[in-house]
Amino acid sequence: MVSLFIIIPFVLAAFLPLIEKVSKRFLPDLLTNLAILFLLIYSMTFGYQVVASHSGIRHFQWFNQNLNIVFALDGFSLFMLFAIYLVSFGVTLFSIDYMEHYGSKGIFYALFMIMVGGMSGLVLATDLFTIYVFLEVAAISSYGLVAYGLKHDELEASFKYLALSAVATAFLLLGIALIFSITGSLKLGDIAERFFKEDAKFIMYICTGFFIFGFGLKAALVPFHSWLPDAHPSAPAPISAMLSGLLIKVSGVYALTRIFLNVFGLTPAVSTVLMYLGIISILVGAVLALGQDDIKRMLAYSSISQVGYIILGFGAGTSFAIMGALFHILNHALAKGLLFLNSGSVEHSTGTRDLNKMGGLGKRMPITAATTVVGSLSVAGVPPLNGFWSKLFIIIGLLQARAYGFAFVAVLASIITLWYYIIIQRRAFFGKLKETLQNVKEVPFWMALSTLLIALVCIIIGIGFPVVISKWITPAVNILEYGIRYAMQYLRL
Amino acid sequence: MQELYLISLCALVFFSILAVLLKDLLKAALSLMAASVFLAVVLFFMKAYYAGVFEISVVAGLITVLFVSTIGLTRGDDFKESKLPVYIFPLFFIWFIIIDILIMYLLLSKMPPLTKWLPESGKFGDVLWQKRTFDLFAQIGIIFAGVFSVLALFRKRDKND
Repeated sequence: MVSLFIIIPFVLAAFLPLIEKVSKRFLPDLLTNLAILFLLIYSMTFGYQVVASHSGIRHFQWFNQNLNIVFALDGFSLFMLFAIYLVSFGVTLFSIDYMEHYGSKGIFYALFMIMVGGMSGLVLATDLFTIYVFLEVAAISSYGLVAYGLKHDELEASFKYLALSAVATAFLLLGIALIFSITGSLKLGDIAERFFKEDAKFIMYICTGFFIFGFGLKAALVPFHSWLPDAHPSAPAPISAMLSGLLIKVSGVYALTRIFLNVFGLTPAVSTVLMYLGIISILVGAVLALGQDDIKRMLAYSSISQVGYIILGFGAGTSFAIMGALFHILNHALAKGLLFLNSGSVEHSTGTRDLNKMGGLGKRMPITAATTVVGSLSVAGVPPLNGFWSKLFIIIGLLQARAYGFAFVAVLASIITLWYYIIIQRRAFFGKLKETLQNVKEVPFWMALSTLLIALVCIIIGIGFPVVISKWITPAVNILEYGIRYAMQYLRL
Repeated sequence: MQELYLISLCALVFFSILAVLLKDLLKAALSLMAASVFLAVVLFFMKAYYAGVFEISVVAGLITVLFVSTIGLTRGDDFKESKLPVYIFPLFFIWFIIIDILIMYLLLSKMPPLTKWLPESGKFGDVLWQKRTFDLFAQIGIIFAGVFSVLALFRKRDKND
């Protein structure tokens, strides 16, 4: 059942606070990890079969009555689900030890599962308003999760995130309302057909502007990025990993891509806007990351830069660029998730995120240091790690599109990325161990295991990238390349 | 009926501006809630029943609870409210109405007549229970998220808290 991708997270979330009354730590940890592992395996087996057999559109029934609940599990949504569950599994494993001192694990996991359920619903939705509602489900749970530490900075960051998200929401709703008033439907296929058949270019461009603003803010694209460097570093490390690795991509990039490539169709004007937004984000994010002393803020600015690569790839619109952008969603989710978890490990062991107060930690925290190297090199795009291939595809795609200037800047920014990741390595893990850090120890078992597993996945994907491309990326590329014809043919229910 | 609609629209704009200009965060949050309620009324007038229900339950309800909780937890000493809004309101309001009329005129003159498409309409019950069931499930998720977020904000971290 396709609906299990949404039902399992929500049902478990509803019961977790009650389960916490029975067992404060063991049962919430166990059930959440098992649920996410099940969803990961389920997406890899059942989900893959559904997509392979082209039977991904499902009506939900109750006693043989259609309930008007329609899911569409296609190559693109399955790829996103796979990325969501893969990173989430690493994060929930890490949370077993990391969230011990935060208290109320049941509520933490409940919010976490609602966020996962919201993201799953968003990628399975076939209706514009449903996309918006699930986007809000994920967003509201993430406000609570960002503030979870209850310190001043965390509450302030959550408030800022909430306020700016509300602005994004207003623009999205305005766009949705305008589309509804013109087309009389909110179903993606209907909208695609009516915009295609009728001359409504003017309204389509207004909606495009609203959506670029709304989803661009959710994706933290420059110039809508100001909330991210406060919100993501302030959250507990597992949540930073989820927000930076997944949420900005699902609620920003996925929604934007689905609408622009499958519903509106990628016109040359929109393509140009997306490419410029992408390249500006790449440069601004990379340059701002260079000047940071807080390890998490540096990673947050890096996320802005990397999302720029993804948008640049989708904006270019060629096969290779779309393939690279999709692959970069997965690779960046894994590598940035890993780096945020490692920053949590460093903070957990040293009590600081300030790079000026660190040095020589590699001697005391060898696993964290080694996995940080893997994550850093992957994000920077060093071969043979996974991040290299996705960036390579994006750059080949840009060359295919004859966007030579964009390709040149993308390569240049990759070098800047490598530079600031080397700074993290040098200042935190290499050199002489500081006296204040003499008693630092490696992180507990589950935290170390989680980062090791994600680092291993980064390496395996880097080496075995052709398998990932053929099995997971190509079906998604086909759907996006099929453009509005796909929505008109399959998303009209 | 038309007068009520116009009054709601004016109140929506008034409370929205108030939410932006008030220095006291609590009052700003309450103004935002009032604006949301009037927006919901406007949506009901426009027969967008389900959008109105979502606006009231999610924005006026849950979001306000989150705002007020966060302000309650982080609030420092009280301070005197600035009198600036009193002078700015009328000017801002007039400016807004002029811009609004200009934009609406521009939009309406260029809006293509696609009236042949039948909108998703009907009574509130039909829309919520038969036409948009999936959103109802998502709204349950939103309510859970809001409740658990409030629980997380007011939880005890350890025995000493």
